[in-house]
Amino acid sequence: MRVAILFMLFASCGSVEVYAAPCTGAETQLAQVSHQLTLNSPEAAENSLRALSLSYPDCPEIILQRARLAQVKGDANQAAELYYRYTDGDPDDSRGLAYFGRFFLEQRDYMRADALSAAAVQKNAVDPVALSLRAQILVMKGQPHEAQELLEKAIQIDPDEPEAQFQLGEIYDKAKLSPKAVSYFQKVVALNPRDARAWDYLALNLEPLGDLDGAEEAYQRGLRVDQPGKYYDAFLEYNYGRFLAKRNRLSASKRHLDTAVALTPQIRAVWYERARLDMRMGNYQQAQADAEKAAACTQQGGIIDLQIYSLLSQVYARLGNTVLAKKYMDLTRETPPPVRTESR
Amino acid sequence: MNHATGRKGVETLLSAALMVLLLRSTSVWAAESDHIQFENRQPRSGVDFVLDNGTLPDKPMIDGIPGGVALLDYDGDGYLDIFFTNGAHLPDLVKHEGKFSNRLYRNNHDGTFMDVTDRAGVSGEGYSVGAAAADYDNDGHTDLYVTGFNRNFLYHNNGNGTFSDVTERARVSGTFTTGKKLWGISAAWLDYDSDGKLDLFVTNYLDWSFATSKVCGAPGKRLSCSPTLYKGQPNILYHNNGDGTFSDVSESMGIAQHIGKGMGVAVADYNGDGWMDIFVANDNDRNFLFRNRGGKGFDEVAAESFVAYTDNGVPVSGMGVDFRDWDNHGQPSLIVTALGGETFPLLHNEGNGFFSDDSYKAGIGFSSFRMSGWGTGIQDLDNDGHKDLFTANSHVSENADIEGQQRYRQPNAVFRNMHDGSFRDVTSDSGSAMQVRAAHRGCAFGDLNNDGKIDVVVSAIGGPAELLYNTTAGDRHWILIRTVGTKSNRDGIGTRVRIVGASGFVQYNHVTTAGSYASSNDPRVHFGLGADAAIQEIELRWPSGTVQVLHNVRADQILTVTEE
Repeated sequence: MRVAILFMLFASCGSVEVYAAPCTGAETQLAQVSHQLTLNSPEAAENSLRALSLSYPDCPEIILQRARLAQVKGDANQAAELYYRYTDGDPDDSRGLAYFGRFFLEQRDYMRADALSAAAVQKNAVDPVALSLRAQILVMKGQPHEAQELLEKAIQIDPDEPEAQFQLGEIYDKAKLSPKAVSYFQKVVALNPRDARAWDYLALNLEPLGDLDGAEEAYQRGLRVDQPGKYYDAFLEYNYGRFLAKRNRLSASKRHLDTAVALTPQIRAVWYERARLDMRMGNYQQAQADAEKAAACTQQGGIIDLQIYSLLSQVYARLGNTVLAKKYMDLTRETPPPVRTESR
Repeated sequence: MNHATGRKGVETLLSAALMVLLLRSTSVWAAESDHIQFENRQPRSGVDFVLDNGTLPDKPMIDGIPGGVALLDYDGDGYLDIFFTNGAHLPDLVKHEGKFSNRLYRNNHDGTFMDVTDRAGVSGEGYSVGAAAADYDNDGHTDLYVTGFNRNFLYHNNGNGTFSDVTERARVSGTFTTGKKLWGISAAWLDYDSDGKLDLFVTNYLDWSFATSKVCGAPGKRLSCSPTLYKGQPNILYHNNGDGTFSDVSESMGIAQHIGKGMGVAVADYNGDGWMDIFVANDNDRNFLFRNRGGKGFDEVAAESFVAYTDNGVPVSGMGVDFRDWDNHGQPSLIVTALGGETFPLLHNEGNGFFSDDSYKAGIGFSSFRMSGWGTGIQDLDNDGHKDLFTANSHVSENADIEGQQRYRQPNAVFRNMHDGSFRDVTSDSGSAMQVRAAHRGCAFGDLNNDGKIDVVVSAIGGPAELLYNTTAGDRHWILIRTVGTKSNRDGIGTRVRIVGASGFVQYNHVTTAGSYASSNDPRVHFGLGADAAIQEIELRWPSGTVQVLHNVRADQILTVTEE
């Protein structure tokens, strides 16, 4: 049945946009719970759901919100169980399909997420939650323009749908259209001040606009709410550390890059950036250690081999190790710069 | 300590604190009141030149690349004249109409100029890009080299207001040993072997033609393609034989082996060994630093010196470059202009063979990240004894605005030297002329009206050139030094100059017309002197090896120094 439902979904049409009778009277509280879960506040949602379950034992919407709660709390098995229960009971509810699809996306089950997102939009083409999930999938499939259309539609319907706002911000960030990206991320953090990812993106897009104080504040506010969960941003420390280095606050930069290295030691970029900072601070031995760590990392994080060779050549030259300095200088000469096929 | 003494001590402390406050206030006031100011006097100058790139709907690579400016005193009257390069009709690369003519304007000494192109015989042919001026045959008259896509020219100054095209005789057509004419961009005159005769270095760009041209961007909003789609070309070094001819020594001197995408070129003795070195800014490829091996050849040491890439280990879209000592520590450093999103690398010479990328450290990183630059100069624009930065800005793609990431037309920028190794973007305070958005390209620096302040002439695609007269207020002192070589080349190009002001303040500069983008600067060496009304000592180290020292020189003059 559970496997079959994914296929059956495509065949059925229509949608249910209002809660069934067993939920009558609970609409406001359920909407509040949904909002709390969107804002990643599981404690408040859990308390509300406990009370609602007693008053409305047959309300299926409670199952959906419990599924989301389990997802937020990291209990994937229970979340899956509850999502299946809900969608078995109401296979036409676009929200149920969309939230379930988002669950699969988090589980990196992209095929199921793709199928559910398509089904959700098919059931209800004006459901902002469904539209934003579908858009997210389309971006992953390399269709940003189609995604952008869906997202713009989603925020027309519900300007307070933070995920759609966030994704639009991401699209403009990738397109290096910082003014537009900023406007969307500002909306996201206004809707959900606990979204550390959005604060990070906001800061990163304020930087090229020259609003350095605004970027600084955004980084700091992001760090204050950067907690494990959906809105956690593992690169906030890294990005803020880089920013501080560019502002010549080297000691503060070092503190944040130290934390970044501890948080994501598998990423080349964090070691690389700390090595560059070590160089600026004249700490060549530490720079050597960090640069070699960066060279050994398999996850590049956007740092290409040429950058590593260039850094290592400088490190060893400063340390007076002419043999290794020459080795890496030769490599920088032999390594072609990245080929940019795009126009400019 | 009794009370009286104690009270007096407190009063002394308070007085001292007040004095410090007053001094600080005065200092701040002085800095604020002497804003670097430019005024565009083109509208009443008679300079009606408009750079025409002959653009086509498909926006081929060539149409973003022109054009250069040369400031030269071609008639020897002591005032700088102006030469502009221009594009051509596309795709046939011919200057069909007068609007594509290169132009020479003679300075009338009253703020106006006269178009003397036809009389001088320098209208040119083909698609021109850059210009470099110097007296290559030591006859006392400034000659002119013009680079281009399909034609390079050497114009010999006849000394009577006319030039002769001596390109073929001199063998400097920009054609490589393979027989292929390379795409010339910038050129620099230097005496690399200190034999008293100026040699010629020419940067070359891409192996591009209309036959191989790619199309980028969507129909109706085409963009300039990335240069990474094309192979680069070797640069050329011509040795001056002293008989009116040159020899292509690119291969034997270690230049041609390095294939780049050459744009700007600047020359300086970066390691203080007495020999002029050459820096080439490459577009989306590693830069070149050709270290002069005692006039016997060049070693390409950009990677070893950490100027091949930014400190982030990647190349930028290198455009213009200047190579001068901005912090008065005795070693010339570099600025390279690049496209938006890259920053302008500010490469500080540490004096130990290494450079450090100080773009963010010096405070221009965030500002320049938003700019796309072409011409540039390290020049003391407010005569305070500390060289400032100027960049001529515009994005490369005319349709850049359509996507909204970049602006095609941009205002130029000026960064004031804050005397502590940092610069401040003071563009918004530098006058209305500095707020004008245009498709700026090459620019040249020099004192057009001999008032001791460095002016800038900027070329702009599709618009009138800008004659930015430096109108910075204040009574700071200055000196312009014109060198006349006798054993060295007559222009004294390559002479390193060290001055000690009356206050003991020491500065360095050198004689060169190279630098910026595709352009040629005033050969006179400029120093701002601040409050120093006199100079204790001027030391000139000529390329011949002669060291000449002058004492007790008054400020505020154009001083001609003939090599002893």
